[in-house]
Amino acid sequence: MKTSSSRRSLLAAVAVVAIGSVFGLATEAWAGYPDRPVTLIVPYQAGGSTETLARVFAKALGDQLGQPVIVKTRPGGGGAVGSTEIAASAPDGYTIMLSGSDPLTWTPLTLKVEYDVDSFTYVAQISEYQQAIVVRQDSPDTSFEDLLARSKQQAGLTYADQNAMSRAFLEYIAGKEGIEWTGIPTKGGGEMVPLLLAGKIDFAWSGGIHGRYGGQIRVLASMNAERLAASPDAPSIREKYDISMPGHMLIVGPRGLAGDVVARLNMAIEAAVKDPGYLDLLENKLLFPSKFVGSEALTEDMEATISSLRTVAQVAH
Amino acid sequence: MDILLHLAAGFEAALTVTNLLFIALGIALGIVIGVIPGLGSVTAMAVLIPLTFYMSPLVAIAFLVGVNKGGTSGGAVPSILLNTPGTPESAASAFDGHPMACKGQGGKAMKYSLYSSVTGDTLSDLLLIALAAPFAAIALQFGPLELASVLFFAFALLAGLASESPLKGLIAIFVGIFLATIGLDPIDSTPRMTFGEVELFDGFPLTGVAIGALALSSIFEQMTTLHRYGERRATASLWANDRAANRLTAGEFFSHWRTIIRSAMIGSGVGMLPGLGVTLAAFLSYGAARRASKDPSSFGKGNPDGIVATEAANSAVVGSNLIPTIAIGIPGNIAAALLIGAFMIHGIVPGPFMLTMHGDIIYALFASMLIANFIHLAVGRVGISIWAHIARAPRSAVLPPVIALCIAGVYLPNQSMFEVAVMLGFAVLGLLMRHTGFSIVCLVIGFLLGGMFEASLRKTLLLYKADFSSVFSSPISVIFLALGLVVLARAFRKS
Repeated sequence: MKTSSSRRSLLAAVAVVAIGSVFGLATEAWAGYPDRPVTLIVPYQAGGSTETLARVFAKALGDQLGQPVIVKTRPGGGGAVGSTEIAASAPDGYTIMLSGSDPLTWTPLTLKVEYDVDSFTYVAQISEYQQAIVVRQDSPDTSFEDLLARSKQQAGLTYADQNAMSRAFLEYIAGKEGIEWTGIPTKGGGEMVPLLLAGKIDFAWSGGIHGRYGGQIRVLASMNAERLAASPDAPSIREKYDISMPGHMLIVGPRGLAGDVVARLNMAIEAAVKDPGYLDLLENKLLFPSKFVGSEALTEDMEATISSLRTVAQVAH
Repeated sequence: MDILLHLAAGFEAALTVTNLLFIALGIALGIVIGVIPGLGSVTAMAVLIPLTFYMSPLVAIAFLVGVNKGGTSGGAVPSILLNTPGTPESAASAFDGHPMACKGQGGKAMKYSLYSSVTGDTLSDLLLIALAAPFAAIALQFGPLELASVLFFAFALLAGLASESPLKGLIAIFVGIFLATIGLDPIDSTPRMTFGEVELFDGFPLTGVAIGALALSSIFEQMTTLHRYGERRATASLWANDRAANRLTAGEFFSHWRTIIRSAMIGSGVGMLPGLGVTLAAFLSYGAARRASKDPSSFGKGNPDGIVATEAANSAVVGSNLIPTIAIGIPGNIAAALLIGAFMIHGIVPGPFMLTMHGDIIYALFASMLIANFIHLAVGRVGISIWAHIARAPRSAVLPPVIALCIAGVYLPNQSMFEVAVMLGFAVLGLLMRHTGFSIVCLVIGFLLGGMFEASLRKTLLLYKADFSSVFSSPISVIFLALGLVVLARAFRKS
């Protein structure tokens, strides 16, 4: 239903543009971007927190741009399928993507895919995944140091990871500490939580789902660069190991996006993240912080991120 | 009797005209989308969620519950009338539903299917309302080891069930499991047999495989028959003009009460374990009904018990997969995950505190689910008289549009031509299997559950450090492994 109506509005828009260009080329001189609907790719399965957020965000962004923003999910390969599609699309600003940073950085650094870390234009960051090392509330470990001490006495404590990057970072810490952990892969928070709550594993990596389990899950350490706002007492792994996992939630386009298009998008995104409906969903329901980092600062940040990821990738592989 | 008081309040909130209308609309849309091969309740919900942005939370969630219920039962219609399952979970309905239709009892078969869906669903909804918390505690005990054992049992049961020879059944299942290993390895993320294709990183798409092998291959087969023998000999009328042949009385339907209750229990049990899914419930229940029957050889030739077992079980999943969702905030399957997304958009944070913090909405949801079952009965009954026209239309007019629908249905959810190509490939494989006596159903189930089987087996080996004696530490796993061995041994002895 949605698809056919969006297809129809797309056709209508194409027709309008065609007629417009016939009746006067003068329009082209002042008609700015965007003059037709923009497609927002989400490289994850429908139903997850990113896709849920994208639906509400797309509406807010569309209001700002004055053109509808159509969400299109392209799940697969942990985000690699959608990333391949955006990398190969025309750099005209009519196809952009909302995703985490790992398919854009970690995947091309460690797997053979048809794009690399330079294939994208970083448009803006809109939020941050709340990554952490977590345990069950009744776990004997009350702090990250407790967990390390127990790991040294008891080889092979088990943890649940959720993707290749989370595993690599935990293995990196284990290597630094000279301890041995056994990773159990899970496909996401929905699979990790039952394992943790049933006591089948000792600890887990969490991308932010722990925020919904208040009294049942305890945060031992933040895997982000900073401590998590909701758990200010748990240290960040950056304090101890000088590494941290990039947790950007990003808007990107293909390489070579024109400067004025990026500027227009930046303006619209900065206004869209202040939309009350979107803010309520993000901060009160998903418990993610709202954030806006524009293209220039973000591009610098991503360059630093990529070079630190190379370090971990080299150790892990 | 706290629950009854809450539920009464829930009914009060749910019984509004808007709510009832949207439930009916949801069910009708769900059935129509479910009828199209390749599109099931999951796609229906994903597509319709944006519509709910403009509704109040309760109406939105009740609407989606309606879509989910309708989508799950709609798949049975093409199974029965055309022998082309609209969804994998309704594949077993074709076993007995289509032979009934070929005897001119298409209407009766569809009534059996609808009534069983509604009864199975109602039983499972009641279980959810009364027992969500204790059941969730049991479900939590199913870790990787227990799931691997349950899957072993399921494979053993299917091998003996869907195929003439259990050996051929096992081979088909293992080919399915092998196909499921294509893509990124679930443990180390190494690409396996992808030939560098990013599209293959997540393996073959399930809808492409299932619709190609189950539905499209059947259409090709029917078209060949049509071409060879002509309209009249290829198919008798699916809907006899004699009204008595298609009448189904309440007494006749409830004479199947044993199967109904057994299937609802199987469906509810499978539904509360995250990830096992609707299709497995349907086949396990079909198998159990055949084993319990006094005349197992009548199955597959038009025994209504086969339809009752399948539809009661797959619809029972709809209610019980909300048990883990509501008790611990973990969706039991993708449909429940989409519901969680809708919960969040409307301000209800799923998680262990949902029942205490949003009790009013949850009980109104329970009430809506029960009301939806009655509406489902009414809407479905109207639907049957519409489908009758399709049943009476000549095959040569019905089959070509169904091919177009298969292609559209597989393409739409991810807008991927790759999935269409996979579907065509598997249609050819399905044709080959039909002619060599290998069970397509075994292949599809092996494929469907293969990834989960591999992942839980390898997680078990990691968790218990490959110590096989750990099996005995889990009574659940011992029971299922032993049952699996017994079932397998009996199947081989019989053949």
